[in-house]
Amino acid sequence: MSEEHRQHHINLLPGEAASTVLIPDDSGRVQLFAESMDEAEKVTQKREYITYTGKKGGTQISCTSTGLGSSPTAIGAEELVRIGTKNIIRIGTCRAIQSFVQPGDLIIATGAVRGERATEELIPIDYPAVADFRIVRALIEACTRLEQPYHLGIVRTHDALYLEAPFAAGGRPANVQQWVDLGVLAQDNETSALFVVAGMQGVRAGAILLYSAAPHDKGLEERTRVQMAAGIEAARILHEKGLD
Amino acid sequence: MEKQHHLHLLPGDIGETVFLPGDVSRAKIIAEHFESYKLMASNRQYNTFTGMYKGIKVSVTSTGIGGAGAAIAIEELVKVGARNFIRIGTGGMIQEWLPRPGLLVITAAVTGDGTSREYFPVGYPSIANLEVVEGMIASAEELGLVVNPGLEWSHDTFYAGSPLSELDILAIEKPWIDAGVLIASQEAATVLSISMARNCRGGVLLVSSGCHQAPNEGATEEETAQAISDATRISLETAVKLYKLDH
Repeated sequence: MSEEHRQHHINLLPGEAASTVLIPDDSGRVQLFAESMDEAEKVTQKREYITYTGKKGGTQISCTSTGLGSSPTAIGAEELVRIGTKNIIRIGTCRAIQSFVQPGDLIIATGAVRGERATEELIPIDYPAVADFRIVRALIEACTRLEQPYHLGIVRTHDALYLEAPFAAGGRPANVQQWVDLGVLAQDNETSALFVVAGMQGVRAGAILLYSAAPHDKGLEERTRVQMAAGIEAARILHEKGLD
Repeated sequence: MEKQHHLHLLPGDIGETVFLPGDVSRAKIIAEHFESYKLMASNRQYNTFTGMYKGIKVSVTSTGIGGAGAAIAIEELVKVGARNFIRIGTGGMIQEWLPRPGLLVITAAVTGDGTSREYFPVGYPSIANLEVVEGMIASAEELGLVVNPGLEWSHDTFYAGSPLSELDILAIEKPWIDAGVLIASQEAATVLSISMARNCRGGVLLVSSGCHQAPNEGATEEETAQAISDATRISLETAVKLYKLDH
């Protein structure tokens, strides 16, 4: 493939990533991905976009970090679609807003409230940010295989973390109450951007999120490994079903 | 409990799964696919039949056209014991590549309607229940029928989204056509969103004779009637699958 097809931000050519790509927002997670695979190699790095590709149980899977926020997530998803990616699974953190969700819990998102503005530039707000049902099922089966409980439901994506986070200083945590009342499980800054871009482009997307309450929580590291393992297992399940 | 205000139903009158056609006359056509059926109530556009299929109790209630009437039906059906809602409806396809007639399993809806927006604010997704979507796809496969899963655009004004309109509907629909939305109709977002709000399962199976890009090249009336019958058979098998999940 000629250089003109190299994507501007993710720095990848068609064929340089697997058909299923896991996208953590944290660029530090690509290393965890590499450690969790049977074999993996770094493909490229540009800005916050670092890509590794590897194999697990014979299935080829890639991992591309997107950075935090809907803007870089939308860019990453769009460019992955352009190089031929078929399944994109977000591996991210979130802040739960329902009391029954505990720190360290996993959430499989069926859809996301479009509280960000990145996707409003793409399509009117009535368009739903939904996960592909086949990836939702693959993530459920992955958690079941790994004997990990999960929550299934809707999250809300928005742009200004420090206005609404529990640790916001002088922010507006009261804004969150309406979403609690509407049954939203958690908030993050990326999921709806992925779901809208993937939906519009006709590729499958999903998200498995980890409720991270405190950034330096010691138990979080192990939970992050479990989350990555679930994402990798879901990619293998999609391959088993011929969905790649 | 007094009978429901609009549907005139009492607890016990219906099964856990209720099929929701818009067309008043289609309720009976759907009920004729049951092994037995009985008219439970008839008021305004709401005709409810209940019967048996493969050992389970199933019902059908016509809702009339539009989200407002469908919302009333769902709210009152929840009060008398419904847990699963399957809309069996019609619409106009907006992708030329779809077969005609088309059988579409709706996975989520564009909330261009007013009713779903009163339940949830703008930006909140209107999503079909995973088990209903999977049940419809598996049932179609068992019956040897082709279905296409995808999105529906729900809107309120028929004459602003139909080839019978004098407006440039392809221009109105362009954002949804470009994004790969499969079909335009009026009730999916309402059925899906209210099912979500009431912790019930919601799903939508739509039949369409043709697409807005080629309004004169649709399926025949006979082919479309057969597709509605096929949609009913898929929905009945889905109801059986949901019953097995719960009992």
